[in-house]
Amino acid sequence: MNRIKFIDRLASGRISRRQMLQNAAAFGVGLAALPRQSSAAEVLTCLEWSGYDVADYFGSFVSKHGGPPNFSIFAGEEDALAKVRAGFAADVMHPCNYSVNRFVTANLTTPIDTAKLSNWKDIFPSLQTAEGVVLNGQVVMAPADWGNSSIAYRPDLIGDGFKDGETWSIFYDEKYTGKVAMLDDTVAMVIGAMVGGKSYDEAHVVMGADLDAAKAFAAKTVNVSRMLWTDPTEMQQALASGEIVAAYAWNDTIKNLTAQGIPVAFAKPKEGYFTWFCGLTLLNSGKADPALAYDFIDAWLSPETGKALIEGSGYGHSNMKSFEVASADSLVAIGIKDPAEHMKSAILFKTPPNEVTNAHNKAWEEAKALKQ
Amino acid sequence: MAGYALLSPSILVIAAMLVMPMVALVVLSFWTQTGFEIDRTPTLANYWELIEPSDTPMVWMGVPFPLANPVHAILLVKSILMSLAVTVAVILVAYPMAYFLAFRVSRHKALWLVLITIPFWTSYLLRVFSWKIMLGFNGVINSGLKSLGIIAEPLGFLLYNPAAVIITLTHAWVTFAVLPIYVSLEKIDRSLLEAATDLGDSRWRRFLRVTLPLSLPGTISAALLVFIPTVGDYVTPTLVGGPGGTMIGNNIQSLFLKQDDSPLGAAVAIVMMVTVALLCGLFMWAVGFRKIRKRSA
Repeated sequence: MNRIKFIDRLASGRISRRQMLQNAAAFGVGLAALPRQSSAAEVLTCLEWSGYDVADYFGSFVSKHGGPPNFSIFAGEEDALAKVRAGFAADVMHPCNYSVNRFVTANLTTPIDTAKLSNWKDIFPSLQTAEGVVLNGQVVMAPADWGNSSIAYRPDLIGDGFKDGETWSIFYDEKYTGKVAMLDDTVAMVIGAMVGGKSYDEAHVVMGADLDAAKAFAAKTVNVSRMLWTDPTEMQQALASGEIVAAYAWNDTIKNLTAQGIPVAFAKPKEGYFTWFCGLTLLNSGKADPALAYDFIDAWLSPETGKALIEGSGYGHSNMKSFEVASADSLVAIGIKDPAEHMKSAILFKTPPNEVTNAHNKAWEEAKALKQ
Repeated sequence: MAGYALLSPSILVIAAMLVMPMVALVVLSFWTQTGFEIDRTPTLANYWELIEPSDTPMVWMGVPFPLANPVHAILLVKSILMSLAVTVAVILVAYPMAYFLAFRVSRHKALWLVLITIPFWTSYLLRVFSWKIMLGFNGVINSGLKSLGIIAEPLGFLLYNPAAVIITLTHAWVTFAVLPIYVSLEKIDRSLLEAATDLGDSRWRRFLRVTLPLSLPGTISAALLVFIPTVGDYVTPTLVGGPGGTMIGNNIQSLFLKQDDSPLGAAVAIVMMVTVALLCGLFMWAVGFRKIRKRSA
């Protein structure tokens, strides 16, 4: 339905540049394809996830500088990493606790001077010192949002078999062929290894023969999945229309579909579900004034942004004050208010060593390419 | 010398935009990736990785590939087969259009030509996107068939497979084929057709013995014009192919951008280019392209 609406709006010229970008960006088209605003001074450039380029999330930056920064949208951190390594000049990037290390190891980051961030003092102390925020004694990521990764499913369509025992194996089960959508990411392989009986700690670093076994799971999910999603909008539309009955998803899927009146549930699979926190990292390739980058990061850490995140997407926020200003309903909906407790409630994604990440990337790409 | 002076702007552009990147690609393919660094010692390791044999062949679609890293070879074969399908489909669609233009349209020919190029007025990406909407689960075809009562449940097999890629590519490239075929049909001396009819040929025989052979140069160029770029197409399989529709272009993109191995990506790209060039040479030799050219000149 949304797809048709998109075409209608496109046809009548009511598609904004940003919406167009959001739709194009998931496929790596990004800003390069569309005209940029011309401006005398260098504009801040931000590498961002699809859907996070909304002005609500950096309101104070917009009011101070009169407009949003330039965004280049990525579908996964590895895409963004490759883009920066290939010479794309961006000032700020939005990695997560488990991926920021890749950027630091590749020497692409600049440490953050927290004294320049007015909201830093209100960040949960547990996050201020969490691994990923601090690496090698330096603050490399200003924590902003946190949430979960689990299975979003349609309780009205999925059948009782799944509801009675929620499990990740749905993505590897031929019974559900064409009815589910996995994320296009190596996590599909790690979860496969977990379905095969490994713990997350073992699964996220599988190598050798265990990796081959995990790859067999990857091949299964490639065949079972209706699509491997890179664009959350596409996945949410597929859930909404009933094209698929379950998908790997983040909190915002539940929030968005519930808001549309579509029955949807967030599973607590028996193998466990995941949690993560993400934030903003300064890149050393940026051309804009670093003060702009600090303004942007500070805007992300503000309680107003936290309120927008909690109420709009169902994510948690790093600023303690966000939870004082957000509406009571939305606080009930997200449940946990303290990120430290939140991290303990589920499996926190971890950073594997670089050679493991590379081997996983290779295995996952091969599993996809060999689908018959 | 004056001729070269005239050519020099285009030679400069070609040197800067084509030759230099190509040289860079060749050089890159002899290096190796180690972590985030590139080892610049010249080596054939990347090419060896592509052809390294293995005792346990990987069977793909019933064909054994006795290679240690069969993914690249499999995707190359698959891409070539898909492109061949696209080329055949494009020629089958474009030839009648060109024929109609050349022989049936007598007034407003320029207008007809403009009409045929209309698809080019929208971006390639949007055209591919629109096929996604046509073939999608709640797309035009499915909702049309549903409202007509022909199907109860939307057809799932329309999108995210090789067929979707072939349909989309065919639509996107038809125009490229119409124009060269039209030109070669337009050039045919009409008195030859008259003579054939006078000597007793039926319309069908006249087409087979006069029109088709004389239009072959245009048709062959059209086929090459479609086949060569579609083998390496990347955006169409990304959008409508799903994992099942993956082609060699996606493999190269993934090697450069996801698997962190640009030298191997460069080697795959070069092997693809050489293979396509050889296939085209073979094809032109097989159909006797030179003789055809001479005959129609």
